[in-house]
Amino acid sequence: MSTAAVTYTTPTTPLTRRVRAYFAPVVRASETPTVFDPSVSGRFNLDAPPAPWIDLGWITNLSRKSASTINVLNVGSPAAPQVQMRELIGATVSFRFLTWRKLSMALSAGSEHMNLLAPAAGAAANGSGSKGVTAIALIAGSTATSLNIPSASLSSFSAGQMVVVDADYAGQTGYVGSGVSAAYVQSAANVNNDPDYVRRVSFNVALVSAVTSTGLTLAQPLLAGAPASNMKVQVIEGFVDREGGSFFQEWSALLVMPGEQGERILYYYPRLQPTGGAQEDTETLLAPLEWVTLNASFRALPVIDANDGEQVLCFRSFLPSPMTLI
Amino acid sequence: MQNAKDTFYVTLRNRLATLNPNRTMLLRGVQRPGILVEEAEAVVPMLPADVFVLRWTALTADVNLPLVLARLDCEILYTTGGTQPASGLDRGRALEEMDAELLSLLSPNCAPKMNYTQTPPVQLNTPVFWSAADFTPVTTLRDRLSRSARVTVFAYQEPGEL
Repeated sequence: MSTAAVTYTTPTTPLTRRVRAYFAPVVRASETPTVFDPSVSGRFNLDAPPAPWIDLGWITNLSRKSASTINVLNVGSPAAPQVQMRELIGATVSFRFLTWRKLSMALSAGSEHMNLLAPAAGAAANGSGSKGVTAIALIAGSTATSLNIPSASLSSFSAGQMVVVDADYAGQTGYVGSGVSAAYVQSAANVNNDPDYVRRVSFNVALVSAVTSTGLTLAQPLLAGAPASNMKVQVIEGFVDREGGSFFQEWSALLVMPGEQGERILYYYPRLQPTGGAQEDTETLLAPLEWVTLNASFRALPVIDANDGEQVLCFRSFLPSPMTLI
Repeated sequence: MQNAKDTFYVTLRNRLATLNPNRTMLLRGVQRPGILVEEAEAVVPMLPADVFVLRWTALTADVNLPLVLARLDCEILYTTGGTQPASGLDRGRALEEMDAELLSLLSPNCAPKMNYTQTPPVQLNTPVFWSAADFTPVTTLRDRLSRSARVTVFAYQEPGEL
């Protein structure tokens, strides 16, 4: 018995058209990133990333830079290099998001990213949004894509609205936000003990696709999954970020280059923190129409590789094209 | 792309009916606003006078976006010999009137994208938008003055759209 002869090709230079970006939360209190294992999920469908990775679409102008430095110990006379040592490890990455959404804005701006709560009547004007309309408590049985609310409150909502779902701020300090550490509260006084503060910064947002007799149907699942019993819902008008702020977003990132021959290059950054403020770029589509893209730049922070205990900033994986010599 | 083309035509047609109700034509036995889509009518050897003719030409698509962005070039042609009472001596004025009308028809330069293959028409989620008109110089052929304007029409291809 014999097997069929195997045909193979010699390796070619990887050829790619574009890069796709996925981000996933880091648990800030313990600095625990979302792990991406390329041996398990490396060939994932680009349109359906494994949970909890969030697809932020194609990006452009990817630039990866190593800031690691290597020094040498010269010994003898005349001195000759005997030993090399890594003095510093560092890495930065930058690119442009092609789409504006809650997460891409937050990553681009780098600091607290706020939801513009639908304003309460007569509320004092404020640059990052005024006090919101009173939040509506959810009824038991809500899921990540449907919110049960009292029938008396249904008239406050309509299809096409955006909503945020999160718990009231209750005077706690530290990281706040369901599903994602959205901000760090240093004192209740700093946030005016505002019960809406968590919902103001929360990433637990979605578009309402329909209002039913029992509640709201969402067009996209809430990032934090099924809402907890203490969560409330508020309508939001949009988003706002600021130049300034003391908080640093921190996210795990996965950048994927699909090759033309079926190969795939993946860059997994377990911990990225932004290095810049809110900046955009423009590119002419057809004068005077211009694309407005979001610039984002990050510094990689280290994790310990469980396989050997080494401190690393980024994992670069390569999955060769089929039947290619390695 | 057909929804974008249909939307662009119907938008301009409706605007023309409001802007200049007197610019009409008799086409296939029906009196209608003086604007037509060349590819949707019978082939004729010569452009009809005093109406706007939409001719779809180039198509490009940007696929590196969450939704494919289609760019359709539309050439809008029009020709006039002036009016009979003035023996055609007003053909320059008539052409200038059509220039001004076209500028007005194109503004505002966006419209909700509609699917006119359904009755009643269904509004889609994204709008159609277009560039400013790029006018060509006048050409003269015997007693007729003609001009065209190129407009690039943009439309995102929504999931499931033609």
